[in-house]
Amino acid sequence: MTETSLSAAQTLRKTVEARLKVRHAQETRFRAYGLVAIFIALSFLAVLLGRIVTQGYSTFVEYSLTVPVYIDPARVDPADISGANFDLMIADQVLARLGIKDDDFGTQSSKVMDILSNDLGFQLLEKVKASPALIGKTVTVTGPVRADGALYYKGEIKRSTPEDERKLDNAQLGWLDRMKATGMVSSGFNSGFLTRSDSTEPEQAGVWGAIVGSTMMLLVTALLAVPIGVLAATYLEEFAARNRWTDIIEVNINNLAAVPSIVYGLLGLAVFINWLHVPRSSPLLGGLVLALMALPTVIIATRSALKAVPPSIREAALGVGASKTQTVFHHVLPLAMPGVMTGAILSMAHALGETAPLLMIGMVSFVPGVPEGFTGAATVLPVQVFIWENASERAFHERTAGAIMVLLVFMIVMNLAAILLRRRFERRW
Amino acid sequence: MIHQSDEGPGPATPGDAIKIRARGINVFYGAKQALFDVSLDVPEKSVTALIGPSGCGKSTFLRCINRMNDTIAGTRVEGRVELDGEDVNDRSIDPVVLRARVGMVFQKPNPFPKTIYENVAYGPRIHGIATTKPELDAIVEKSLKRAGLWSEVADRLQQPGTGLSGGQQQRLVIARAIAVSPEVILMDEPCSALDPIATARIEELIDELRNQYCIVIVTHSMAQAARVSQKTAFFHMGKLVEAGATGDIFTNPRDGRTQDYITGRFG
Amino acid sequence: MLTWVALLALALFSGATFFAARRKALASVGGRPVGLHSLPGYYGGYVAIWVAIPAALVLLAAAGFGGRLEAGLLRATPAPSVQALDAQQRDVFFDDAVSLSEGRQASESVYEGALKSALDSAVARARHLKSQITYGALASALALACAGAGFAFPRIRPDFRARNRVEGWIAGLFILCSVTAVLTTVGIVGSLIWESWRFFQSVSPIDFLFGMDWDPQIAMRADQYASSGAFGAVPLFIGTFLIMIIAMLVAAPVGLFSAIYLSEYASPLARAVVKPLLEILAGVPTVVYGFFAALTVGPLFREFFNGIGALLIGGGLDGLGQYLSQVQNQMALVAGAVMGVMLIPFVSSLSDDIINAVPQSLRDGSLAMGATRSETVKKVVLPAALPGIMAALLLAVSRAVGETMIVTMAAGLQAKATINPLDTVTTVTVQIVTLLTGDQEFDSPKTLAAFGLGLTLFAVTLTLNIIALRIVQKYREQYD
Ligand SMILES: Nc1ncnc2c1ncn2[C@@H]1O[C@H](COP(=O)(O)OP(=O)(O)OP(=O)(O)O)[C@@H](O)[C@H]1O
Ligand SMILES: [Mg+2]
Repeated sequence: MTETSLSAAQTLRKTVEARLKVRHAQETRFRAYGLVAIFIALSFLAVLLGRIVTQGYSTFVEYSLTVPVYIDPARVDPADISGANFDLMIADQVLARLGIKDDDFGTQSSKVMDILSNDLGFQLLEKVKASPALIGKTVTVTGPVRADGALYYKGEIKRSTPEDERKLDNAQLGWLDRMKATGMVSSGFNSGFLTRSDSTEPEQAGVWGAIVGSTMMLLVTALLAVPIGVLAATYLEEFAARNRWTDIIEVNINNLAAVPSIVYGLLGLAVFINWLHVPRSSPLLGGLVLALMALPTVIIATRSALKAVPPSIREAALGVGASKTQTVFHHVLPLAMPGVMTGAILSMAHALGETAPLLMIGMVSFVPGVPEGFTGAATVLPVQVFIWENASERAFHERTAGAIMVLLVFMIVMNLAAILLRRRFERRW
Repeated sequence: MIHQSDEGPGPATPGDAIKIRARGINVFYGAKQALFDVSLDVPEKSVTALIGPSGCGKSTFLRCINRMNDTIAGTRVEGRVELDGEDVNDRSIDPVVLRARVGMVFQKPNPFPKTIYENVAYGPRIHGIATTKPELDAIVEKSLKRAGLWSEVADRLQQPGTGLSGGQQQRLVIARAIAVSPEVILMDEPCSALDPIATARIEELIDELRNQYCIVIVTHSMAQAARVSQKTAFFHMGKLVEAGATGDIFTNPRDGRTQDYITGRFG
Repeated sequence: MLTWVALLALALFSGATFFAARRKALASVGGRPVGLHSLPGYYGGYVAIWVAIPAALVLLAAAGFGGRLEAGLLRATPAPSVQALDAQQRDVFFDDAVSLSEGRQASESVYEGALKSALDSAVARARHLKSQITYGALASALALACAGAGFAFPRIRPDFRARNRVEGWIAGLFILCSVTAVLTTVGIVGSLIWESWRFFQSVSPIDFLFGMDWDPQIAMRADQYASSGAFGAVPLFIGTFLIMIIAMLVAAPVGLFSAIYLSEYASPLARAVVKPLLEILAGVPTVVYGFFAALTVGPLFREFFNGIGALLIGGGLDGLGQYLSQVQNQMALVAGAVMGVMLIPFVSSLSDDIINAVPQSLRDGSLAMGATRSETVKKVVLPAALPGIMAALLLAVSRAVGETMIVTMAAGLQAKATINPLDTVTTVTVQIVTLLTGDQEFDSPKTLAAFGLGLTLFAVTLTLNIIALRIVQKYREQYD
């Protein structure tokens, strides 16, 4: 008996050991698949972010030209200041400084105007308009080089490219080189990108309008979605009896959370624009649509925060004679607040990055300034990204990546805030 | 202080053969030490019961034998556990082989969400013990019969194992464990989730299995330990207080703590 | 602006009544709150609610609908010269009247003679109406606030159940908020069905759902309204399907294996590092993925295939080479692959939850049998988690189908019924965006078609979600 079982034991060992190598190889392979999958996912993240930074960081470098311009009384009519060609005056000045004579047709000066931003002329116009006394004096203006010139400085436009395949000819490249060498052009941080709004000229386009638009829209979204969502979640979690109606509401909310965002855009178009006549493209409208979209997420997050508050706290409060409403408002909700706020911030961050529904409600229009109030036309950061991505000028591609970097900074700040909040208040009981 | 005695009453006299020899076992969960210098011999072809108050380290000791402690992150085991004279923690021992030789039954029945047949066939399949369908059928039938479940499930082998009653599930799990013909079966409170009738069936089963396997069982029931085991070891706060023939421990404990525990004064 | 001021004033007034009512309640019991049924604040709150709510509703209604009321009244009495205009011109006329009355720019229409004077009088009337509506609203708000105070104040007596009343109002507010979600659904379903119904008046649903030609641009002219041949959505469905399949081919294995590794193998530290990184991937706005697809992945893939094509040209696979060398940026593969990357964290976090819900006892049981970890995962954990994982994948499919920005930026506009991943396809969402961006008449079948597509999209994703959420719920219950 002992003998047979001993040999049985040995057979078992033999059998198991025979397949051991294969099985361990399978194990190693399986593990490797997992590692490879994670590696793939993380390298996508690295490539995505890395690519955006490499494409976008140059947005934050600006090449600006500083030039003193003599406001020739012969060329500016004090009665019609706007009629004067300040661009040409600047171009002539630059030519003079480069020691180049223009021909009668102004070929050279118009080529100079091609590499300088019309913002310079505009500034000059504003200055002279503000004080006509400047006519006959010398005024110094500083403004960006036109986008193509900047691309040359940044190495995006190369001399090695055949001349007829690039936007700037050899003469213009030579001028650009000399302007830089003589110190007329200097490089610096492109604060204009953060302080200007959209423009048809890439070198003058900035994200300020979009930042303000996004902020206003998120304000509307937060003011609507957070209180309504928190109250709805509180009701469903703390007050409502479990019955068919609350079941319906619950299923409804869970499904709403998974409805494609573009459908909310259609809702906004049909109901808010066509039926309620909320002004198109406005932060109010965008905020309304995104609030409806964010509502289910806020509700779900709040409910789970409320669920995490131990029942003992409710029992204790009810035990000392507080009413149900008092218990919830004075004890349960304050304890759940960090969780609620975390959920709210995260859903606002999500709303900040949302684009598709805004396209439906007319937010794709070109808005060259900050929105005039909540009912004025506005653009928002992600839509600005979309608009610029569509633009044909190469210089806008860099700005698109730059705008994405700004957008991501906002999102990271919001996510960090949520994480800190979660860490700070995690489980107090 | 540790008293060892290998004789015990019971029908089949356990041989002198020691199946498992544990020496100086210390187990740490992170910084927390759960077992302190435990040394215990487990005889072949008999039932050894581990008793002691909750949290005293019975399960931890059990898991040292089949190295299930390895699966818990941050666990460290010191000392020697010999199975047939081989150190199970030796680097040459593959836990896969070890666990094929040492089966385990848990407190809560944990049949896989598969058919009854597949549950029992699980071990033979992964270890390549049965290669053909008839062989597998034979093993499944034999194991279920030995676990005393065959008559109840013979006609529904293709139904999910999770659909059985608690007691049936536990016997299914035992059948699953013996399907690979292990040498040792570890049982961690196998009856604590069962009603008295199901418990009685499992106890009968253990008594039958004793003839072929070395069984180590953790139990909270003194009566159960007295009924099914030939040897009993009493643990307290991570230490082995006393071990010996079951009859001796229950009638004539040497240590005051054992006395207190078996008479129900603490625990 | 005036509305804001009025609301502010109302808030102040209501606040004042709060304190007055509280004082009165306290006074009624000689300053000892124990004599009151409720805490004094509830009496204040009760009165403040009656003062503020009805008046505020009137003010908001006036702000929201005053413009429409004004326009409606203005239209009710058109001058004869205006009546002579056709419907569209009349709309423009009244819009201009309103715009001018508010000092905004009018349209470029030219008004002469009788029309000019009609316009002037309409503008004057619009101004008049506007001020009537505004001041009417203000007056009625004031009256309502006073009436509310007059109604609520006298009811303050020591035995008045102020707390129950206030809590009743709060309960009403609660229910209102909860119902918002339902109203949203009603709004979505209602507007989609209504607009789609209008669309299906001119294009038969059969042609729409089973037609093979999608070319809404040619159906612009009025005489072509009925030429529904241009609204066959099948190519869009195929394109959407193709991109979804490509996305799932990327997301499902990568997401699933990441989840398995994280939940079964990774150390707590590795998990603590990798999970937030994946969350970042999930938090990246889709427009960023779109940019990445259009300007990085697209050109990269194109060059890759063009390169292969160049190698093949002239060889035995000349035809394939020719084809590959002409592949464009906007191939389905690009949008699909990038969408797959976007879905990886979605799949992995859902699967991670699902896998973690599999009880540890099953793993222990398998490991104690001598199974390796991978055998445990493959033979016990995954089969147990299968329904949940299927549900997670269904949710991912629903996401892929409804995803808009990546395809809008990286897929094409050409509606081709092809399953060639290197070809350009378009999707339902791309077409919705294309049909609705840019200025056009809202009522043309072209824009209404977007709602037909939206309804289809909504129905499909909703079905997927309902099935998936059902499965997940069942699955959770099983292991609870
Ligand atoms: N995974 C673990 N991590 C940390 N500590 C653990 C772990 N498992 C057990 N312990 C601790 O080790 C000690 C012994 O636990 P063990 O499970 O062995 O007790 P037990 O005797 O089986 O108790 P019971 O009769 O309740 O099952 C206990 O204090 C327990 O808290
Ligand atoms: Mg235990």
